[in-house]
Amino acid sequence: MPSTVVHAGFALLLAAGLLADAYDRKALAVVLLIVVIPEVDTLLGPVMPGAHRTVGHNVVLPVALGALLFYDTRLRDRSAVRDRFDDWGVRVAWVGLFAHVFAHLFLDWAHLEGINMFWPIHDEFFRLEGELFLSTTEGFTQTFVEIAADPESGERSVDAGGTGTTESVHVSNPVEPDAAADTDPDEPVDRRFPIAQRGWRLYLVLVGVFVVVARRFQRDLPPEE
Amino acid sequence: MAPTLVNAALGALLAAALLGAAFDRRSVAIVVGAAIAPDLDAVVSLVVPGATNALFHNVWIPLGLVTLLYWDVSVRERSWLRERHGAYGVRVAWVALAAFAVAGIAPELFGLAGANLLYPVHDAYYLVRGRLLFSTQEGIVQTFVAFDSEGPGILPLYSPGTTESYFVPTWVNPEPGVGTTLDAERELYLVRSGWQAVVVASAICLLAVRFIEDAFRGPREGTADDHTAGGEP
Repeated sequence: MPSTVVHAGFALLLAAGLLADAYDRKALAVVLLIVVIPEVDTLLGPVMPGAHRTVGHNVVLPVALGALLFYDTRLRDRSAVRDRFDDWGVRVAWVGLFAHVFAHLFLDWAHLEGINMFWPIHDEFFRLEGELFLSTTEGFTQTFVEIAADPESGERSVDAGGTGTTESVHVSNPVEPDAAADTDPDEPVDRRFPIAQRGWRLYLVLVGVFVVVARRFQRDLPPEE
Repeated sequence: MAPTLVNAALGALLAAALLGAAFDRRSVAIVVGAAIAPDLDAVVSLVVPGATNALFHNVWIPLGLVTLLYWDVSVRERSWLRERHGAYGVRVAWVALAAFAVAGIAPELFGLAGANLLYPVHDAYYLVRGRLLFSTQEGIVQTFVAFDSEGPGILPLYSPGTTESYFVPTWVNPEPGVGTTLDAERELYLVRSGWQAVVVASAICLLAVRFIEDAFRGPREGTADDHTAGGEP
């Protein structure tokens, strides 16, 4: 996984942009917690094959939670969230959902074998990988979704980056490292907790920290005359 | 070099995060403009050899601007910027400056094409490249900062070369050297990898949410019209 630290950095950046009046230390803590929780599915790995990047990493759950939140805050006469946590809670809940989808799910989607996007409805891992460019020789080109036609049968196949199912895909993680299968059972297993494995991941961590620190130094703008 | 679209997206995210009450269409445009400004050195590279990722991708310009802005806003008795554009102007200036450095220059430095940080004082491109992890067998492993790195750099970072030996191709100037031919193959990258697509999508959605919200809330007192009334140069 791009480590949880990277998710957290990007989530802080997004949260700072969205929280508005609800921006405070407590709100940031809630957002960070929301970023960490899905990783719990690594612990299910030993019990359920392919659980990591499946149970906590699908779009079905956030869509369901979003619908529930919408129903609670907009459709019901009295909202449970607003009763308990006021408008602050409603704001933080929506921002947490946004951060979960963009800073956690989508970043994982672009990493290793991707995420099990539509689990439990449809069991398949998807990986986002490709380029988008304008070329003087090839025109407008994108390689995220490959559409190929079979030259013989003329059948069109669409490759959106599917990498397999929970049966075939295991995304290496510290609880169940890939390396464990290869090493001698007597040797101690090397569990590696990545923090930032690429320059750009370190960048996202640092930007998140930068934004939070910068906000500390900012004063409220005086009301305009 | 990182696609300018990615610089713009990062600039937009910073704008939303830091502008606070000064957030409106105009200030976002200024901040995004600042984030993509460093990439203009690719145009200069048509005339100045090796200017791409060097001329505007160094520490001197942001340092100079920070000094200037700090002097004007905090040291002088009467600030030119504050008199002209008020607290709004000061906030936008600081955020634009942050976007110039953090969203414009830094993405090049962190493992995409490299930035010539000390140009023109000392000519070497730098890349923050490596990994940072905690291993149960080896403890903390860190290879971003290396004091014994080879290459022409004097900073403890990986250096791919100098303006002489290392060239960053862009769609403006796809081949080493000054000048360009019309039939050169050009590629304008919008997104080069999955994570960049995620950053761009996040920025678009986040701005959409913020602007739609502002529209629903209706015009607050003292919106954009007030500060444009001061007159633009």
